Amino acid sequence: MAKVEHRTSLAKSDLPDVLREMLLIRRFEEKVEERFRAGELPGFLHVAIGQEACAVGVCRALEDGDVIASTHRAHGHTLAKGTHPNELMAELYGRQEGCSHGYGGSMHLYDVERGNMGANAVVGGGLPQIAGAALAFKLRGEPRVAVAFFGDGATNIGTFHEALNLAQLWQVPAVFVLEDNHWAESTPESQHSPIRDLSDRAKAFGMKALKADGQDVEAVYKTARKALDHARSGEGPVFVHLDCVRLHGHYIGDPQVYRDKDEARRLAETRDPIALLREKVGLSDADFEEMDAEVTEIVEASVEFAKNGTEPAPEDALKNIYA
Amino acid sequence: MATQVILPRLGQGMESGTIVKWLKSEGERVEKGEPLFELDTDKVTQEVEAETSGVLLRIAVAEGEVPVGETVAFIGEEGEDVPAASARGDAPAKAEAEPEPEPGPEREQAPEAAAESEPAQRDDFRAAISNGRVKASPLARRIARERGVDLRAVRGTGPDGRIVAEDVERAEAGAAPAAAPAPAAPAGPPAEVESRPLSNVRKTIARRLTQAWTVPAFMLTVQIDMTRANALVAGQRELHPDVRITLTDLLTKLSAQALMRHPDMNVQFAGDALLAFPSADVGIAVAAPAGLVVPVVRGAERLTIAQIAQVRADLVGRARDGKLRAEDLDGGTFTISNLGMYDVDQFVAVLNPPQASILAVGAARDTVVPRNGELEIVPLLTVTLTCDHRAVDGAVGAEFLKTLKAFLEDPGLAL
Amino acid sequence: MPELTYREAVRDALSQAMRQDDDVFVMGEDIAEMGGSMGVTHGMLDEFGPERVRNTPISEMALAGAAIGAALQGMRPVAEVMYEDFMTLASEQIVNQAAKHRYMSGGQLTVPVVFRTQGGAGWSPGAQHAQQLEAWFVHIPGLKVVFASTPEDVRGLLWSSIYDDNPVVFFEHRTLYPLKGEVPDEIEPIPLGKARVHREGEDVTVIATGRLVHESLKAAAEAEKEGVSVEVVDPRTLQPLDEEALVASVKKTNRAVVAHEAVTRMGYGAEVAAVLQYQAFDWLDAPIERVGAKFSPLPFAPVMEQFVVPHADDVLAAIYRTVNKKA
Repeated sequence: MAKVEHRTSLAKSDLPDVLREMLLIRRFEEKVEERFRAGELPGFLHVAIGQEACAVGVCRALEDGDVIASTHRAHGHTLAKGTHPNELMAELYGRQEGCSHGYGGSMHLYDVERGNMGANAVVGGGLPQIAGAALAFKLRGEPRVAVAFFGDGATNIGTFHEALNLAQLWQVPAVFVLEDNHWAESTPESQHSPIRDLSDRAKAFGMKALKADGQDVEAVYKTARKALDHARSGEGPVFVHLDCVRLHGHYIGDPQVYRDKDEARRLAETRDPIALLREKVGLSDADFEEMDAEVTEIVEASVEFAKNGTEPAPEDALKNIYA
Repeated sequence: MATQVILPRLGQGMESGTIVKWLKSEGERVEKGEPLFELDTDKVTQEVEAETSGVLLRIAVAEGEVPVGETVAFIGEEGEDVPAASARGDAPAKAEAEPEPEPGPEREQAPEAAAESEPAQRDDFRAAISNGRVKASPLARRIARERGVDLRAVRGTGPDGRIVAEDVERAEAGAAPAAAPAPAAPAGPPAEVESRPLSNVRKTIARRLTQAWTVPAFMLTVQIDMTRANALVAGQRELHPDVRITLTDLLTKLSAQALMRHPDMNVQFAGDALLAFPSADVGIAVAAPAGLVVPVVRGAERLTIAQIAQVRADLVGRARDGKLRAEDLDGGTFTISNLGMYDVDQFVAVLNPPQASILAVGAARDTVVPRNGELEIVPLLTVTLTCDHRAVDGAVGAEFLKTLKAFLEDPGLAL
Repeated sequence: MPELTYREAVRDALSQAMRQDDDVFVMGEDIAEMGGSMGVTHGMLDEFGPERVRNTPISEMALAGAAIGAALQGMRPVAEVMYEDFMTLASEQIVNQAAKHRYMSGGQLTVPVVFRTQGGAGWSPGAQHAQQLEAWFVHIPGLKVVFASTPEDVRGLLWSSIYDDNPVVFFEHRTLYPLKGEVPDEIEPIPLGKARVHREGEDVTVIATGRLVHESLKAAAEAEKEGVSVEVVDPRTLQPLDEEALVASVKKTNRAVVAHEAVTRMGYGAEVAAVLQYQAFDWLDAPIERVGAKFSPLPFAPVMEQFVVPHADDVLAAIYRTVNKKA
């Protein structure tokens, strides 16, 4: 189950690949925005543009057999955990070939084979189950870790507190990854949390807390690695606080009336994780364009795949309710 | 409140009917008892009368097939409001996953107007009649429907005087069956059968005959000397010059007498029971324009030949006009199918379930027969009796046929 | 056949499953040393240890969610929610998560978890410790719901629930725990979705759950003295419902009474009545009667509590109404 390679930091030679993965997620989500605005995609969609480093950095650090629970903002986590863009796009189009076979949609992306236990549309909804999955690993003596992604908005809900309390109490191998983009939908952190450092929440339970710049994929990877090793070794759960930015609105089409127009622009110029990594890698314009063309092609192909996918029969709605 | 006009159940087993056309228009005044619309059931096309007087406010179903019990129109006073929702919406939808071994809920015709016009001796039963609707449990309604019990004549002993199943059973055991409703006054032009090649009548004929074909049946053929029978018919014609008496009438009378002598023949096959009938109800196959129909001459054993002729003439006439009512066709144990007038020598008729037998009658032929060492020319009639073997055994059929032959050859024996 | 109390029967099913299967474990508030607030898990800590007889904080969302999470990894946890009233706290995880994972994943997941809980009036706890909330959960596609009324049933049904691959909400009734009854030597799994005819009769069918099964049997015995023959049927599994058995019984007797301790209005019995009127309409000789609690929170004062919840007398009165008989 364990990977052959076990590194505590990303190798320099891996960085172009990491960049490519982040760029794929970016282009994928831009395409999702475009197709949604064109009226092709049903439902309620949320993109994580600006937060690609969190998804890729954490998922790269996972071992085979580790599981994740994601949020309503799940495209990046799903792709980073290994689901093919075709299957993800097919799901967004409501096709049988989708990763949830058309039953889930953007907010309920699953890929159980790849350890994705599901995106959750109830804020904080997945956290107790990650504590439970980690409990199962512990009871069975399996060297696996369960990882929950959630945002700063989730740190106010009961499941967050109950799950962290239980996980720490039982010392289960869980990692709680806070992607702190400082917005709970339209509500800024200053209006939803009485404390400025959300790592303090973990400290209240006596849980180990690590912090990293969520826009720096290397830092995210390193921190996640540390947290996962700690949890896997049986030393208890870890809280990972990633400081990140949400460059777009809460949902596709969000006019963001609550947000200073310049803020997103300023953040895009200074804290875009893809631009930051590109600079670090030192990729030439030509090489970047080539990479971009390559991932764009993959994304275009996924749209083609999804459009050619099979629409479920209406009465398929009555399947999969019971095992 | 406007009164709903409900598609009535006009015979046992009727689940739906097809409205052919309305004889009154919206806004037109209609009197109770006046024909309101023409209805094609799986048996007949007939006129349905208004059960209440007033203005025909709205026709909810202009034409087409409608389940029994559904609202098809509203009658009320000028300017009265009627429900806007489609009348078809009130039939309960069947859940998809639900198994459907039993027929869906059926509604009973609400005898509003009829109840109001009941004579005073019905006052005792008013407790069960509320706003013109008889208050009865669904089970009581079903039993009443199946056994032909008129709920208006049943005393309810349930809560608030509701009629429950036991009441229907008691009423059925104690009282004669409810009288048949008054016949509809014939009015309006006959239905355009040609324009409906797949009429319910035709569909029913196909369905019934296919069913009948699956019945294990046997056939018995005899030849009958018609000398005396022919003389009797001639004599009857002289006696009743104003009535057109035919051989079929005599056959009906003598078959009825023979049925009374052989009660084992006078039955219907009802699946898990044989229904033995107290009187001889004889069906007569009539080639109506819309297709074969078999109206029934009831209590033929009690009627004279001339009376039978009158009843038959009425039934055949109405059959040809498409004016038969459902009750004209119900019941019977035995049918006569006479193709003699078409010069057919002999044929085998298909059963008319649930009746137990049917007699196929050909044309009488002058035939040379040896009699007492001499050759005589006698009119010989060939008849073939088809019997439902589930209801009747060969010997029973043969005995009956022997009696019928004896009656025809010497009608005095039937007295 | 051995005799067990209802409480012992629950414990027996749990213990036997845990003995044969490492994936089965129990978790809940106060279930370890204390043996559960109803004493159901008494002694199990000694046999199975604190990992598998797992005390939880007073934390219903995490308790329910952790059980679901372990089930998603293939274990078969049995979570005890101390009172039905507290199921409202756990219900986000049960309703939005457990019931939906299989569906939302397009069939990739199974959620073999049992939520055991109990409730029931008759001991004056007031409004927050004795509610009967089965109607909340039968309304959720994806959940199975069981309500057992005898030691034999509770053992066989709990066994089947543990080994069902779906989330099961398993209701027990507080006042039934001391009830003794014979059980088979070996556990006989009772399939979910099968009703039990407790008593055959000809005139009226009483469809009852939980404590009301026993109240209905008392009422049936009374009615018999008056010449009314009563059939008592316990659906046992509320979801899926054994419609066939209920409809068959009512087609035989032509009258039905539906009885439960939960509030009558919008209650589980309304669904049963709807099933019966639709599938047995032409067999009904009387309106379907419902017996349940009055539309009131449970009061504290014993006389008021007894007034609100139904008893054998209420069932008997309903039986008599269906046959139009004066009590």
